[in-house]
Amino acid sequence: MDTTSTESVTAKEAGLKRCASCGRLQKIDDTQRCTKCGAAVQSRRSKSIQRAWAYLVVGMIAYIPANITPIMSTTSFTGNSEDTIMTGIFSLMASGSYFVAGIVFVASICIPIAKFIIIILLVLTVQLNWNLSEHTQHRLHGLTEFIGRWSMIDVFVVAVLAALIQLGGILTITPGVGINAFAVSVVFTMLAASSLDPRLLWDVQAAATTLDNERVSS
Amino acid sequence: MAVASPIIDVSFDTLTACSGCDLLHHHRELELGEYARCERCGDVIQTCKPNTIERSLAATLTALFLLLISLITPFLALSRAGITSSMSVFDAVEALWDTQMRWLGLLTLALIIVLPLARLLLLGWVLWRLHFGRKARRSMRIAFRWALKLEPWAMADIFVMGVVVSLVKISTLANLSVGIAFWALLALVGASILINASLCKDTVWTRLQQNQ
Repeated sequence: MDTTSTESVTAKEAGLKRCASCGRLQKIDDTQRCTKCGAAVQSRRSKSIQRAWAYLVVGMIAYIPANITPIMSTTSFTGNSEDTIMTGIFSLMASGSYFVAGIVFVASICIPIAKFIIIILLVLTVQLNWNLSEHTQHRLHGLTEFIGRWSMIDVFVVAVLAALIQLGGILTITPGVGINAFAVSVVFTMLAASSLDPRLLWDVQAAATTLDNERVSS
Repeated sequence: MAVASPIIDVSFDTLTACSGCDLLHHHRELELGEYARCERCGDVIQTCKPNTIERSLAATLTALFLLLISLITPFLALSRAGITSSMSVFDAVEALWDTQMRWLGLLTLALIIVLPLARLLLLGWVLWRLHFGRKARRSMRIAFRWALKLEPWAMADIFVMGVVVSLVKISTLANLSVGIAFWALLALVGASILINASLCKDTVWTRLQQNQ
């Protein structure tokens, strides 16, 4: 295989840091902005772990009222009804739309919970030096960055329904407090995922491997 | 790990580091259409896409056109018991504003109108000037940086999905038909994929540096 790597040295180990926006390298103790694109350059995102925890905790706390309070209420002459995320999914299933019910279930329940678990797992891997498989952690991190935004579906559904169903007193749909909490939860979990620096995960793995090698050789 | 020392002597413009795992690689001259992956984590670290400025400019202008169409035309129409109502994207935002959900209205406005529009305008401006060989101003570097940063927050594609779910939810209550804006938004999703596929950041950054 035609290899271009420089014998498994990271930029940090070589005393360099990479600009996150344009990729140019500069010396690690340089304080100036990137000469190519003008961005501030950091070897690792600053306070990555603390920020990830802070955003994640807000996201997780907001997820509780998002699920137990109604996200929208329907008023018609037959009476009032209030929908939470779960009852919304059930009513979709009751009307036979299993596919759409599945989409909402995945976007509003599976993705947020999976993201909480993955981010906690990754952050703890860094903090406690867990020995997670390199490629597992890499895939998990890629997943959190990619899927998080899809959770916003339910927010847009409520916005569209509320705007559309204003049929002069016959039928009105108004957004409930739960949708605020849900939007907060999604936004903060996205922020948590983006503040977690993937390079920290590899630093932990590299440190573990070095330790193993030393044990073997001594 | 005794290999670190000789690398520092090399001018480090001949090196490149992986954004995902920080592993150092020698910078390679790529053929058109080639890309280089990181040895350790497999992320793409270098690209070299053909006609990147022209292709991504075309895709950006298309996306901009589609976004403007989707803003001025209705995307859903509904009729029930003789009452018809049609709505544009702005109506969705306005409805939230009117129901004491102001910040949610603002968030929706930002995610489906302001941020996608800002991203496309910034990208379009930078690529336009590069294509016509204008001088690369410092503000263009800032513009391109922000265009890249805004990408995950432009959620037109997710909004389309939300509209589909809404359609199914109320199809039992009223007669619905999708408008031009819906199809424009759907096409916008395709145009966004084209932008990502044709935009070579390495080339743009190099051009921005050279044309100063």
